[in-house]
Amino acid sequence: MKAAPFAYVRPPTLDDVLAELAGGDGKVLAGGQSLVPVLAMRLGRPATLIDVTAVPELTEHGPTGRSGYRVAAAVRQRVVERDPAAQDVPLIPMAMPFVGHRELRSRGTVCGSLAHADPAAELPAVACCLDAQVEVSGPGGARTVSAQEFVTGAMTTTAGPEDVLTAVTFPTAGPGDGFGFAEIARRHGDFALAGVVCRVHVTGSGAVDSAVLTGFGISDRAVTRDVAALLATGEREEDLRPATIELAAEMVDTGGDTHGSTGYRRRLFAVLAARELARALRRAREGRTTT
Amino acid sequence: MTAAPDTPARPDTGARRLPAPVARVAAHETAAVTFTVNGTETTVEVPPRAHLGDVLRERLGLTGTHLGCEHGVCGMCTVLLDGEAARACLLFAVQCEGAEIVTVEGLGSPDDQHPLQQAFSAHHALQCGFCTPGMLMSSYDLLANAPEEAAENLPEAMSGVLCRCTGYRGILAAVSDVAGTYPDGVPEPRGCAPRMLVGRTSSGAGQAPEDAGTAAPQLTEVRLPSGPPSAVVDVTSPLTSPVDRVWGVLTDFDLLARCLPGARLVESLDEDRHRGRATVALGPVKLSFEGLAQVVERDPDAHRLRFHGQGKDTGGSATSADVVLVASPTPDGGTELTAHADVHLSGRVAQFGRALAGDVSRRLFEQFAAGVDEAAETGSVSEVTLGRRLGLAAGAARDAAVGAVRRTAQRLRARVRRRGDR
Repeated sequence: MKAAPFAYVRPPTLDDVLAELAGGDGKVLAGGQSLVPVLAMRLGRPATLIDVTAVPELTEHGPTGRSGYRVAAAVRQRVVERDPAAQDVPLIPMAMPFVGHRELRSRGTVCGSLAHADPAAELPAVACCLDAQVEVSGPGGARTVSAQEFVTGAMTTTAGPEDVLTAVTFPTAGPGDGFGFAEIARRHGDFALAGVVCRVHVTGSGAVDSAVLTGFGISDRAVTRDVAALLATGEREEDLRPATIELAAEMVDTGGDTHGSTGYRRRLFAVLAARELARALRRAREGRTTT
Repeated sequence: MTAAPDTPARPDTGARRLPAPVARVAAHETAAVTFTVNGTETTVEVPPRAHLGDVLRERLGLTGTHLGCEHGVCGMCTVLLDGEAARACLLFAVQCEGAEIVTVEGLGSPDDQHPLQQAFSAHHALQCGFCTPGMLMSSYDLLANAPEEAAENLPEAMSGVLCRCTGYRGILAAVSDVAGTYPDGVPEPRGCAPRMLVGRTSSGAGQAPEDAGTAAPQLTEVRLPSGPPSAVVDVTSPLTSPVDRVWGVLTDFDLLARCLPGARLVESLDEDRHRGRATVALGPVKLSFEGLAQVVERDPDAHRLRFHGQGKDTGGSATSADVVLVASPTPDGGTELTAHADVHLSGRVAQFGRALAGDVSRRLFEQFAAGVDEAAETGSVSEVTLGRRLGLAAGAARDAAVGAVRRTAQRLRARVRRRGDR
């Protein structure tokens, strides 16, 4: 399987990247771990691949502002996985081992996962759950979009053909935060049949202040819901189950495939959601964040 | 695009230097790329689309790196790139300027095997040997860079390379043995002494035909495959238009085709057979189907239309569908449009599919219903409405004739998006 011919360019600045993208026939290449298979299968034939890895500001990553962790477009998943500062966004180390395989994370980028927006991918779900801020540059200038608004459908985002996703900023965890992450896949490293990401925040007295749950692999994109009211129905997994079963009926609308029917995915989702919400709540109350 | 000034962002801490810019290399030109392979610096002249696996095997004679699936799934082609395991088939050689590459030939030699190679031999960790280079390079990366992952769950940590002889037990035993022997890190590759790399001619080695099957065959008859469909779509949409007007759209194939995002009628062969073109764009995926739709049932009293559609993409993907559309009047003077489709996919698009196929088909039908409503109301479907409605970018017009319309639509879309983002 060989890709159809394409032109290749690796511009030195973001402006040059945008100039190359003008016309809309090019594709941004960072790690290429999602894009290159598409080219190999000839499901896509862009005229030009614009490699963004030589743009200095796109290789930056680290804490930003008071409570943010920012990752620019050319930063590889494995670099983030090993960055001690990324531990401040607990969902990153929780989710990262499930992103493809080690051999893919060595080249794949965090921003590339977001831009590709596969409905079963882990990092877009984490970004949606935390409502990370996505920076996009295009012919009209730079803009910042919340992750939930950024993804508009299966492999479809608000970034147009002349835009480039330049960075994403995840909010770091604070006191009273607890997180949960789980997915079920046929094999380790495969796309999830169903997965959940959640964040629960409690007040000093332990009362649930806010709770957000994102499901992935269950629709044409990651789906996020406010579940603070749901957590009022109980705090143990089995007490939460009736409510998550109801939630699954509403949230899981994928048609299913040979790997799992809609019903099976609903069941997976309901079980994982109850389990991870209960864990996240316990972690939030005990001040342990992730364990 | 810089981080807040109070917290200076750090550069990529991976052992990767910032790559040098590369001026545009046209699709049919070659570029000189210099990298180090197993300790020897080498320069190759390659077209942009040549992947590293092919260049190593065909141009440098390093056939130890095997190619399996060539789209990143099997792991046979795993090599070390700047010290970390990576798939050689998912890397274009032009991306590797200045890189340090180690292949299985660099890990050890027959006379001086690397401990991993010795352990694979001792534990009988290979049967046919095809996956062995990938297994060796992946396990080297694991023990050198992430030994904690190996200790935690070795089978999961080694899941990135497939063995079809199912010799996993021997492989895991070998890796586990080496991990135990070298708790502080596995020894460096020992076959990286400078050597002569066997050059080969660049004549078409490893190059597929550029545009195999560019001309999609002209279909004159629709044949649906037997067997269960790849996806079944059932969509019910409430429309505001009265049922007679909706039926008017359903029986006007030119208008009907325009209601489907990305579709156009090309010619009508007779009353029941219509040739058309449809483009589906999903992120990097862009498929252009040429096809035929054949009406097999038209019931004006029940407002029921059934047709078979079939399309082929130049890249070898094919789709066909058995579609039933029924318009029923609702008490409020509107119409309920139900669409049932058995969608069959074949070729590469089917491999790519997963649940996506059904989900995307469903969204397409929902958008189609909105288009029918507008057409019933106004007698046409505007590009702007289509553009705004589309999550799937309407690439309706790949052909030059309507290219201008597309560019206008894109500009409008971009404007709409930008407004929406604020």
